[in-house]
Amino acid sequence: MSDPDVDPTGLIHEEEVWVEEVHAARRSSRLPRLLVLALIAAVVLAIPQVVDVVYINVVSRAAIYGIIAVSMNVLVGYAGQASLGHAAFLGVGAFASGYALTDLGMPFGAALVVAALVGMAAALVLGGVALRVSGLYLALVTIAFGLFAQETLFNIRFLTGGGAGQTAPRPELFSGPVAYAYLCIGVLGLVLLFDWRLTATRAGRAIQALRDDERVAASWGIDVTAHKLMAFIISGGIAGIAGGLFASIEQIVSKEDFGLSLSITFLLMTVVGGAGNRWGVVQGGVLFAVLPTLLDRTHENFHVFPFTELTATWEPAIGAILLLLTLTMFPGGIAQQQGALLSWLGGGPFKRDPDAHTPAQGGGMGARP
Amino acid sequence: MPAPDVDDAVLETDSVSIRFGGVQALSDVSLKIGRGEIVGILGPNGAGKTTLFNCVSGFYAPNRGRVRLFGEDVTDLKPEERAQRGLGRTFQQVGLVRSFTVLENLVVAQHASVRSSGLASIVGAPSALREERLLRQRADDVLEFMGLTAFRERRIGGLPYGTLKMVEVAAVLATDPSILMLDEPLAGASGEEGSAFCDRVEQMRSELGLSIILIEHHVPLVLRTSDYVYVLNFGAMLAQGLPDEVRDNAEVAEAYMGEGASTLA
Repeated sequence: MSDPDVDPTGLIHEEEVWVEEVHAARRSSRLPRLLVLALIAAVVLAIPQVVDVVYINVVSRAAIYGIIAVSMNVLVGYAGQASLGHAAFLGVGAFASGYALTDLGMPFGAALVVAALVGMAAALVLGGVALRVSGLYLALVTIAFGLFAQETLFNIRFLTGGGAGQTAPRPELFSGPVAYAYLCIGVLGLVLLFDWRLTATRAGRAIQALRDDERVAASWGIDVTAHKLMAFIISGGIAGIAGGLFASIEQIVSKEDFGLSLSITFLLMTVVGGAGNRWGVVQGGVLFAVLPTLLDRTHENFHVFPFTELTATWEPAIGAILLLLTLTMFPGGIAQQQGALLSWLGGGPFKRDPDAHTPAQGGGMGARP
Repeated sequence: MPAPDVDDAVLETDSVSIRFGGVQALSDVSLKIGRGEIVGILGPNGAGKTTLFNCVSGFYAPNRGRVRLFGEDVTDLKPEERAQRGLGRTFQQVGLVRSFTVLENLVVAQHASVRSSGLASIVGAPSALREERLLRQRADDVLEFMGLTAFRERRIGGLPYGTLKMVEVAAVLATDPSILMLDEPLAGASGEEGSAFCDRVEQMRSELGLSIILIEHHVPLVLRTSDYVYVLNFGAMLAQGLPDEVRDNAEVAEAYMGEGASTLA
């Protein structure tokens, strides 16, 4: 309606240029893009081969944190809900998988399905409460949920093994640490594929629409309650799978592994990665998974100040600094810093979308995977 | 004041009243909209126009009174259930998904009409992908109807206010409503744009077969476009009638322009 030329901010012109560039990029060849994607995939797949065997479990952990980041992203990035109790979903998944493997003698794949189902059930309970509260109150409820799970659920001795922990043997085919790292990376790939398709479906779009404005979503005929619950359940299911994989890294888990600080780490890695962007949050997850090891290695190898003082105990402080830097300089997190690259890989121009820098930037409808 | 006799009413409110704390926001508001009618709602700021929209679309539950859509009592239904029955509305504050593009907004808005199962969509079954293309096609048709094709790929966050109001109308049209409730669609528009929009409202009736309720501050445009006009003041029905009758109503003129005024436009 209004004449676009008279916009004093210059934003409109920038946007028009952007749209033209998107069209031009779509007309151009796909080959270079596919080559770079193949290169990235090759590097990721080479990691378990080249990493020192001492650190191979860190690779598995990084892939699992990537899965957790996708789970967090569905809830925090897409649906716009707070979660400070995500370690609980990881925990129920881990103990369910361990119980299924050890006490029920189920095969690994079936145990992962059990972990996913239990994660979904836990999320349904939390989601049912979360429908009644929002914002700060929701954050408090999720903290309470996490503490309740840790102090009550995870003390049920026959399920969790009490203080001794629950054993969770790896599957025979992936019993070696390198093979298990590949299994975790493979599951991360499947979860990302699921997440990409989710954002291209009716339900995935509806979840993102209600994040921005529940009233508008309802006025378009979207059942807000059902889709918010669905976001919780999907998120819980993915976290449950991550828990199942997590349990078998060291092949034993105990309730000490699932404290409040872990939940905070999960939220930090989602925000620092860039809530709403699947590639960003996965990188955030990987970063926070390797951070303690990275700090320890730096400490051991550089004998000059300040590295002499640096240990893994600095991790929370570094997480907090990263969070502050993200919120003040790059609200879109890692995904925003890589905006040009991610745009190009998704079929757009090698340039950041001029309007894609809000913190809760959606993955759109999945047109750019 | 009872509502007029209308054959084939698609939307009806019957003595709707709502109170917020000590404020009686609506008292005994009754109106009827016939099939294919364009009805204007006038009233000064704070008269209760948007509150009435919220009661009709289900965001507020009236303390008293009933709301009927196509003869069905929907007073106890949720907003999304009313939307699924063909009631579309816009918001005074722009009702769009900020982080999506224009096209994406129009695709989400078609939520209720999607038939593919979640499983078929997740695995990308051919039927689901075909339906996705149809959704985009329909979104494009609506954009063309509204003259917004140029904005197809733009993100909501970067568009000027007047354009957003039109994109919002397009998104509601994409829900395929039978009744369209427009809340100040011309806020942020120039006089010329207002005139063009009124032609488009007429087109929505004739080409899309919609029944339309229009809240708008631009009185001459409302009088020109509407078949029938209701005037609210302090939450109560002050007057109603054909546009000419309302224009010459001294009470209405006084509510709008203060004591001594005798005609509205």
